[in-house]
Amino acid sequence: MHIPDGFLDTKTVIATSALSVAGVAVALRHFKAEDQPRKIPLLGLTAAFVFASQMLNFPVAGGTSGHLIGAVLTAILLGPSAAVIVITSVLVVQCFLFADGGVSALGANVFNMALVAPLVGYAIYAAMHKVYSGIRGTIVAASFASWCSAVIASVCCTGELALSGTVPWSTAFVAMTGVHALIGIGEGLITALVLAALHATRPELLRAEDESGRPGDAKTFVLYGLLVVIGLLLFVVPFASPLPDGLERVAKDLGFDYTAAKHPALPAPFGAYRFPGIAGGAASAVVSGIVGVVAVFALSVGLSFVLFPRGGKTVQQKP
Amino acid sequence: MTPAVKVENLNFSFNAGSPVLSAVTFEVPEGECLGLIGPNGAGKSTLLLHLNGILPEKKSGRPSVFIFGEPVADEGIENIRRAVGFLFQNPDDQLFCPTVYEDVAFGPKQFGMPDSHIGEIVTDALAKVGLRGFERRSPHHLSLGEKQRVCLAGILASQPKILVLDEPTSDLDPRGKRELIHLLQSIPTTKIIASHDLELIVHLCSRTLVLDNGSIVAQGGTREILSDEQLMLAHGLEKPHILQHIHPHPRT
Amino acid sequence: MHHDFLDRYSRSDSPMHRLSAGAKMSGALLLIGAIITVPLRFGWFFLLAFGGLITAARVSRVPARFLVRRLLFLEPFVAGVAVLSLLREGGWIVFAGIVVRSTLSLATILLLTNTTSFSTMLEVLRKLRISPTFITILALMYRYLFVLVDEMERMQRARMSRSFTKGDRRLWRLLSTTIGELFVRSSERAERIYAAMCARGWQ
Repeated sequence: MHIPDGFLDTKTVIATSALSVAGVAVALRHFKAEDQPRKIPLLGLTAAFVFASQMLNFPVAGGTSGHLIGAVLTAILLGPSAAVIVITSVLVVQCFLFADGGVSALGANVFNMALVAPLVGYAIYAAMHKVYSGIRGTIVAASFASWCSAVIASVCCTGELALSGTVPWSTAFVAMTGVHALIGIGEGLITALVLAALHATRPELLRAEDESGRPGDAKTFVLYGLLVVIGLLLFVVPFASPLPDGLERVAKDLGFDYTAAKHPALPAPFGAYRFPGIAGGAASAVVSGIVGVVAVFALSVGLSFVLFPRGGKTVQQKP
Repeated sequence: MTPAVKVENLNFSFNAGSPVLSAVTFEVPEGECLGLIGPNGAGKSTLLLHLNGILPEKKSGRPSVFIFGEPVADEGIENIRRAVGFLFQNPDDQLFCPTVYEDVAFGPKQFGMPDSHIGEIVTDALAKVGLRGFERRSPHHLSLGEKQRVCLAGILASQPKILVLDEPTSDLDPRGKRELIHLLQSIPTTKIIASHDLELIVHLCSRTLVLDNGSIVAQGGTREILSDEQLMLAHGLEKPHILQHIHPHPRT
Repeated sequence: MHHDFLDRYSRSDSPMHRLSAGAKMSGALLLIGAIITVPLRFGWFFLLAFGGLITAARVSRVPARFLVRRLLFLEPFVAGVAVLSLLREGGWIVFAGIVVRSTLSLATILLLTNTTSFSTMLEVLRKLRISPTFITILALMYRYLFVLVDEMERMQRARMSRSFTKGDRRLWRLLSTTIGELFVRSSERAERIYAAMCARGWQ
């Protein structure tokens, strides 16, 4: 999912870069406020760890292979802000030393994989885990959240590419999301398996959740939410549903021309509130999306029972 | 004369576990090289980490360790760390900067030496350890012996008054070991060396402590201690080959 | 894995290498900025950029074969995504434009990386007052990257020679236990590094 140079146009580069810089700055500030300096080597080493882990490939259908992104895994192990910093470091090194991902696209890549993936993923994980605690709950929440993070990140990526006029939204969306829905299964599976392995050998490494409640936390999460929502509004929402005319015009004036990015020959963009009949292309896309999500959730639950048929100890909470 | 190191009734356990160090008491006069030997798990590394205040993590109550008379406590810990140069067992853990130059310069920079001098300090330190010209090298491409010498240079660059070495020859090949021994012999600073390598101890240390199960079970002249076969075997050690011909008087 | 190949030539010598890191970094950024913004119809600009990069490459004495091989290695990824652009009307022009831009940018980065060591680049960031915490983390990551990759390879080999289950289940199990173990070792190492940093006066 690393976007190379030359795929994004100027306005997208500027928008993504601004969002990324802001997001990483928030993460650094939150990390410094919350964590002692002793965590700094841990973040550096974890970044190296994520990089090394990404080198392990797993087979996805049809001869392609995917690799772990590790955003949600890192967020569960070290906390969301630490995860943002870690994945950003990985992307920076990959960009400059491996030319994996373009320099101008660094903003977009950071936004997708270092902000949206860990933050949205962690939010889903935390919410689910509150409802379903214990190690099985951890597995379900972690695998499902990891899958979501991969898919959502790819959707943002598609949006950025479409907005730049590089690809047509409708077909690119189907292709990218489809592939990442599959890769996401691998991501979810590996995340769950790694957490299960750690639970067995070193449960103390699984970060306790009741570390929230510090004064800086609420503000930080609001800021994160803001940045993610702005990004989604810029790169995804307008494609998924038609904007009100006024807003559409304003966007055009600012250079964000969504209509031009949609291929005229293909079916109209789908909107959640438009169900012209199940046979319609748009609605069936939505239905298949829902089916996919439910299926992955069911798989996650199944996985948790496979790994922990007898329940097992709960994740250690700090005294 | 204030001893370089004074340890008085040091007790320690990790997080309310069983005691790792019990009533450890000894002194090291300035200029001496002291050996610290004992079986695995005796607590040697743990003891050494008390000398520069890495342990205990929270320092409360009466200090048990004094460096040139200064207590090892939270206040003034920077001076302690400047005075005590610590060589860790695994050079990869200690060589954490992207280049040799930056790593050797790390200590001096942290201790506030002016930037203009640092270049000179680094060059001198590298020359002392026989690694002239290695400034721009990347740590990953160095041999283990070279890495260790860079670590030593980094410590020497801060001009410590005491050198503490934790298993310095583990993983070194015979040549590396020989070079290290020569190097250490040329440095007159007070030294404390923990090692399984009894030949190293014989070569370098005039006095030796034997630590077993967290307590000092013997201390005295190196030759005397190490040639006492009964003592060695009783504490999971062996009389080193080079002392095989020595039979000391039986100890009481 | 050949640990060298990342920035294999970054420590050699040439007039390019001797240029200041700041100059090279800003030059590269400006060039890439231009490459992605200049409209395609100004073909001469792209030819000029191409020529300039070739000249810089020769001056830098980085072996041409190495550069070309790295470029070719990266091209399939570019092409893979670029293919999607063919789906839209006028796609061929977009496709060609992407390939030209991507390739030129890639070449720029390759040259930058192989004439400038990573730590000098970090030094530039430090001077720009970028968060010291972030820079320390980047430096540590770079330093221990190869150490961890080595460790991982060793673990993979050890596990593969010990396990006898066949097929995919073995693969997933292998992957996850390796990753889990690698994380444990990394965090333990991080603790030791922290102790070493403190021992030398950090914080």
